[in-house]
Amino acid sequence: MKYSGYKGKILRVNLTTRKFSTVEVTDEFARKYLGGNGFAARHLFDLVDPKIDAFDASNVVAMMTGPFQGINIPTAGKYYMATKSPLTNGYFDSVSGGHIGAQIKYAGYDGILITGKADRPSYIFIDDGKVEIRLAEKFWGRLTGETQELVKEEIGDPNLCVSAIGPAGENLVRYACVITEYRAAGRGGVGAVLGSKKVKAIAVRGSGTNEVSDPEAFDAWMKWYKEEAKKVPALATGLPTYGTPALVASIGKMLGAMGSYNHKTEFFENWENISGERLKKEFWDKDTACPACPIACSKVFSAKSGKWKGAISEGPEYETIYSLGSMCGIDDLGAIIKGDSLCDEWGMDTVSYGVTIAFMMEAYEKGLITKENTGGLEFNFGNDDVMVSHIEKTAKREGIGNLIAEGSLRIARTVGGGSERFAIQVKGLEIPGHSARALRGMALGYSTATRGGSHHDPRPTGEYAGVSDRKAVEGKASWVIGTQQMTTIGDSLVQCHFLERLLGFTLTQKYVDMINPVTGFGYTFQELVDVAERILDLERAFNVRTGIRRKDDTLPRRFLEEPIPEGPSQGMYTDEPTLNRMLDEFYALKGWDPGTGIPTRQKLVRIGLEDVADRLEQGL
Amino acid sequence: MTMSVVLSQEKKPLIRFDLKKCAYCKICELSCSHRHYKKFGDALSRITIIRKGPTMLKCFICTRCDKRFCIGACPTKALSYKGGNIEVDPSLCNSCGDCVEACPFHGIKLHPETKLPIICDLCGGDPSCIKECPKGALSLIWLPESRKGY
Repeated sequence: MKYSGYKGKILRVNLTTRKFSTVEVTDEFARKYLGGNGFAARHLFDLVDPKIDAFDASNVVAMMTGPFQGINIPTAGKYYMATKSPLTNGYFDSVSGGHIGAQIKYAGYDGILITGKADRPSYIFIDDGKVEIRLAEKFWGRLTGETQELVKEEIGDPNLCVSAIGPAGENLVRYACVITEYRAAGRGGVGAVLGSKKVKAIAVRGSGTNEVSDPEAFDAWMKWYKEEAKKVPALATGLPTYGTPALVASIGKMLGAMGSYNHKTEFFENWENISGERLKKEFWDKDTACPACPIACSKVFSAKSGKWKGAISEGPEYETIYSLGSMCGIDDLGAIIKGDSLCDEWGMDTVSYGVTIAFMMEAYEKGLITKENTGGLEFNFGNDDVMVSHIEKTAKREGIGNLIAEGSLRIARTVGGGSERFAIQVKGLEIPGHSARALRGMALGYSTATRGGSHHDPRPTGEYAGVSDRKAVEGKASWVIGTQQMTTIGDSLVQCHFLERLLGFTLTQKYVDMINPVTGFGYTFQELVDVAERILDLERAFNVRTGIRRKDDTLPRRFLEEPIPEGPSQGMYTDEPTLNRMLDEFYALKGWDPGTGIPTRQKLVRIGLEDVADRLEQGL
Repeated sequence: MTMSVVLSQEKKPLIRFDLKKCAYCKICELSCSHRHYKKFGDALSRITIIRKGPTMLKCFICTRCDKRFCIGACPTKALSYKGGNIEVDPSLCNSCGDCVEACPFHGIKLHPETKLPIICDLCGGDPSCIKECPKGALSLIWLPESRKGY
């Protein structure tokens, strides 16, 4: 290839026929779709019939890299996974830290596309050019940590990189995740789709390398990064010292915008008990990092005393402290650490699990779920035993766990009684710990995000930093579009969004200046914006073909009708007319039809997706 | 190919690993391969970090041990100890891998393409892995030539 950072081919694995093939990554394709997110969005749009059930054998799981994997650029020690989600039924991607991303590159591939269904539990082993589908019957039912160790033992390489699903994925829990080392491609049920294909693990090792296009310019960029990162407090001290739990104080206390008790309020009175400062002081064991990342925001925490003494986990992150903690009314960090490690081990998303439990607790409070359903258990807010003990039950779909495994929206539709109002989700995906009421951009952002309730489609950070006024309505659509473009480029480079404080909360020339020395694309800023729009519109087009329209771009009724009742953000919310006003502006700027929310032909042609416009017209 | 380091005769170098500080980012591995080959890849790194459990990490690199198992194991006498480093004579090496097997510290790999042993050479005295480690988990120390246990 003319450009650097790519291996020029994607591996295709068909589990039904047990055949392997490769798809070429041409110079033109790389330049047009950049990597990770872009590669997967294009291939999934082309390969997956959007109307199938997510567990249909013809669904595809993409495991992708971008040009940055395997080199020493900061915060890109990650891999990217995408599929049609069993939780949202739409295009879904999840990005995780892990050395496996670099190994895919070193093995000579830019990514893997997995389709079909194995007849017996299996794992995929990629050893440079050699690909095998191996039996995993003896690992089936095992936790994610054990599974990784057992695969390493079987191959006889303690340095092997393994991504595994847990029992939750095997049992098709709709928000089952993929775990690599101790980090998760957490959201949207990619693990469940792998489970439906009977894929227990993917192991990769490669003896190759990755290089940059212009070493001198790249070294200059690295020097620039090291100097500039020192001046950004979050990158220099906040994240390295506390990790994301530092946000409990800033979001929970200062802003009063940390969902609590299933968002009945957003001010958690016991925030101090679950704060990052307390975690660091009383629970910290060591710092850990994603590959090639100098920030090392990840921490191993353990409970040294109390009811949950001995619980140990890499994490919890802020989102998990919100979902398993404040959302469930739980202020015992020991219980949150225990829950975090069990979710990882059994293989499920901590955000969706915690928010679903919080929903169950409110439904129980309102009498929509009773002791008859819960097997005699008191399902009340603050009950840490219930939160911890139902992780295994959910993973095994035992008793009420079979219901919890479906996620909050599907449970609301089962139990009825108007409970959909307080199912804290968008498009089926549970909302993380960034308020749709206290941050105007997140109200519009969650509503329009491909994935729904994800804080990695739109970003809340710029509103926290005050770069965009969190209360403003005017100009918010263009801000949200900018943040979505930024995250899409980040997900295509497969790089952490934490560099946003240095490079920009929305796309900026600084992203171009980082990409060009590695790839040699010589992108202009407008070209990069077009790449982002192309990927976002491909995702939207995928979702349009599943039936998603403007009517689905909305928030839970609670957020549209009930102001935050107390605390520093008291009274804030976005009502329906305001959301609609922002949506009108959003669609107009995007070039999407204002009535339906479908990308217009004119827009699609402008960004080089004429074939997608044709498909949309034929396939509706 | 390898660079020698000027050493006082009584001391020998050791790259010391601090388990508590290491965050498992493996920047040391990338900087090692980049320093020696201008390419990024852990198969080309002379240092290897492995994680065993949430807080247990291990570092593998040439320790300049007293026994020099690799030299003894080499059937073609391609390895020698010079100036604090194990040096490889490419004209003698037959790429059999016996040195890799013999090293109890897992400090030797074969280059994936040339199949020659790759062993830490301290980057000529200013090891790149130490310079680039963001956590200060690696340091260069000098030990007496004869040490029990190494």
